[in-house]
Amino acid sequence: MQNVLAVMLQLDPNQSSCSWFAGNASIWRNMAHALHQSLDRVLLLLIAILPGILAFLVALAVFTLIGMALSALLRRVLAAAKLDERLADRRGNKNWAPSTSPTALIARVSFWSSILLGLIIGVSAFDASYATATTLPSSLLPYLTRAVEAAVLLIAGTLSARFLARSVLIGAVNEQLQYARFLSLGIKWLVLVLTAAMVLEHLQIGGNIVGLAFGILFGGIVLTLALAVGLGSRDLVSRSLESRAEHPRESAAPPTTSPDDSIRHF
Amino acid sequence: MATADSIPGVTTSCAPPGNGLLILLAAMTPKQLESVFANLTASFPKESLLIAAPDAIADALPADSYPSLRIVTAPASNSVWTLTAADYVNVYLLAEKYEARAILMLGSESGSLGSAALRDLTNAVLDPIDLALPCYELPPHAGLINSAILYPLTRALFASRVRFPLVVDLGLSLRMAKRLADAAQRFTAINQGETPLWPVNEATVAGFAIDQFDVGLRIQPTAPELNTILPLLIGPLFSDIQAKAAYWQRFRPLPPAHNAMPMPPAPTTDTAMDIAPMLSAFRLAYTNLHEIWSLVLPPNSLLRLTRLATTDAAAFRISDSLWARIVYDFLLAYRLRTINRGHLLGALIPLYLAWVASHFNIIASGSDPEGHIEAVAAAFEAEKTYMVSRWRWPDRFNP
Repeated sequence: MQNVLAVMLQLDPNQSSCSWFAGNASIWRNMAHALHQSLDRVLLLLIAILPGILAFLVALAVFTLIGMALSALLRRVLAAAKLDERLADRRGNKNWAPSTSPTALIARVSFWSSILLGLIIGVSAFDASYATATTLPSSLLPYLTRAVEAAVLLIAGTLSARFLARSVLIGAVNEQLQYARFLSLGIKWLVLVLTAAMVLEHLQIGGNIVGLAFGILFGGIVLTLALAVGLGSRDLVSRSLESRAEHPRESAAPPTTSPDDSIRHF
Repeated sequence: MATADSIPGVTTSCAPPGNGLLILLAAMTPKQLESVFANLTASFPKESLLIAAPDAIADALPADSYPSLRIVTAPASNSVWTLTAADYVNVYLLAEKYEARAILMLGSESGSLGSAALRDLTNAVLDPIDLALPCYELPPHAGLINSAILYPLTRALFASRVRFPLVVDLGLSLRMAKRLADAAQRFTAINQGETPLWPVNEATVAGFAIDQFDVGLRIQPTAPELNTILPLLIGPLFSDIQAKAAYWQRFRPLPPAHNAMPMPPAPTTDTAMDIAPMLSAFRLAYTNLHEIWSLVLPPNSLLRLTRLATTDAAAFRISDSLWARIVYDFLLAYRLRTINRGHLLGALIPLYLAWVASHFNIIASGSDPEGHIEAVAAAFEAEKTYMVSRWRWPDRFNP
């Protein structure tokens, strides 16, 4: 830094061109030096964590292979022992779907357990090499963990949104609500917006802006839905309330028989 | 586990009374109870009868009104509109305790059953019959889930001509009761005692003798609304069919319909039903649930539904083969868990309503309702090969 300042101070129009060129060369030399130093640091960092990465990959690959072998072995052994048939006889269900048979389930669990074990061992190895690489920014690994958690949150939120949207859609259609799709979309976006806000909050992106934006969006969607349902089915709601107020006993007590001219599904 | 205790003041002997028949009564009003007791004493005037009834009923009965009836307490049923798994467990425990050799289960509103009906059901299970079922006389706009799904599926898959596979009154031999109790314990063990069981399926798989008897008109207990009852019935039925796949995948000939086999009579009055709400429900569902249906149904069925969605109300007809395939496709999707099972059964409701609308149109055109139901059942039988193929190789037919 002192060199740079010195070079800048030398930029005097009264100075000779020779000394100006000499100062310029000094800037380039300093820049090259700084670049070399940072390159060295990155290379050293890579060299420090490379064994950890390799150990992680090797552990994962080895345990995946072990899992595959174990799964195949279990499948053969359990098929030979006729586990599915024995359990089916005990349970009374003689028809396992191929994807839900106990043998397939056990084999799958063993395979994924092996992969999980490989992941744990790999991460441990990586962690050990990470500890030696003191130059690595201290917040990188925790942030990666947060990113994984955020990804899981995103997947769970998306699945929940889809499930709830379908539930609302089918329920609303069976209640013969004309705005069934609109309701379903509203619920879906409510959950998605909530999920997005949670993910961003988890990743510590945006700070207060996310919370504020989420509040505005969520409130906006709820208000829109309330207005749509309230205005769209005002007559229906008032009729329903009136009929309940007029015949509270009739709605409470179940009728023993229905009129002959009504449809009886069962 | 439920237990049964004798009422204080009434004999507590466990010896089998009279003919060894145990009668289990559902909860009912005193008026209905009077009617049931009157019919029972008229049917079996010279015999003492063992009756198991909930506490409230037993307490309401004057001790000396019916000296030939011996009443013991039984746990009250959780459901009034059908017999559940818990009922079958309870009745078998009672039958074992009182050493009964046959059982007659009478549901809510059974006071409207005639004494001849009670006698027929009882005599059947005291003889070699294991499962005696009533054949009710219903108007054409009643028992529609039975006509659309329960009867055709049971007939096609289990080769049984029982017209009402799920009833509220029935007679059981002791071994049939044991079989049903064993099946029911799988549900009661996991706190699902309200699940309906399928006695015809159980009896058919076990090779037990089944018979049905014309019982005439009967006031049916009030069932929950359609959106509740359809999933409540169809879910357990599909599960039962899945559990018994090894049985029904083999071809079995349908027993011949002998002359004595009762059939519900044709309606005496023509009452045109308003199908507009059902059609609007179907059309609304078509515009909104098409995406979900496309996960379950093959393109051919979807195309036929597209045509139906634009058909006029007067010409609205669902062909029997299309309906059979729809039900089979939903059954397969239930097995494969193509979508959430609750969603799947919910998505079936508008299609069922479309079938009901079509059925009413066919009746209004002058056809015999029972004839149409028999044609639907025949279509289910004809499409069984489609079902078996999809069941065995579902990937080949993925929509």
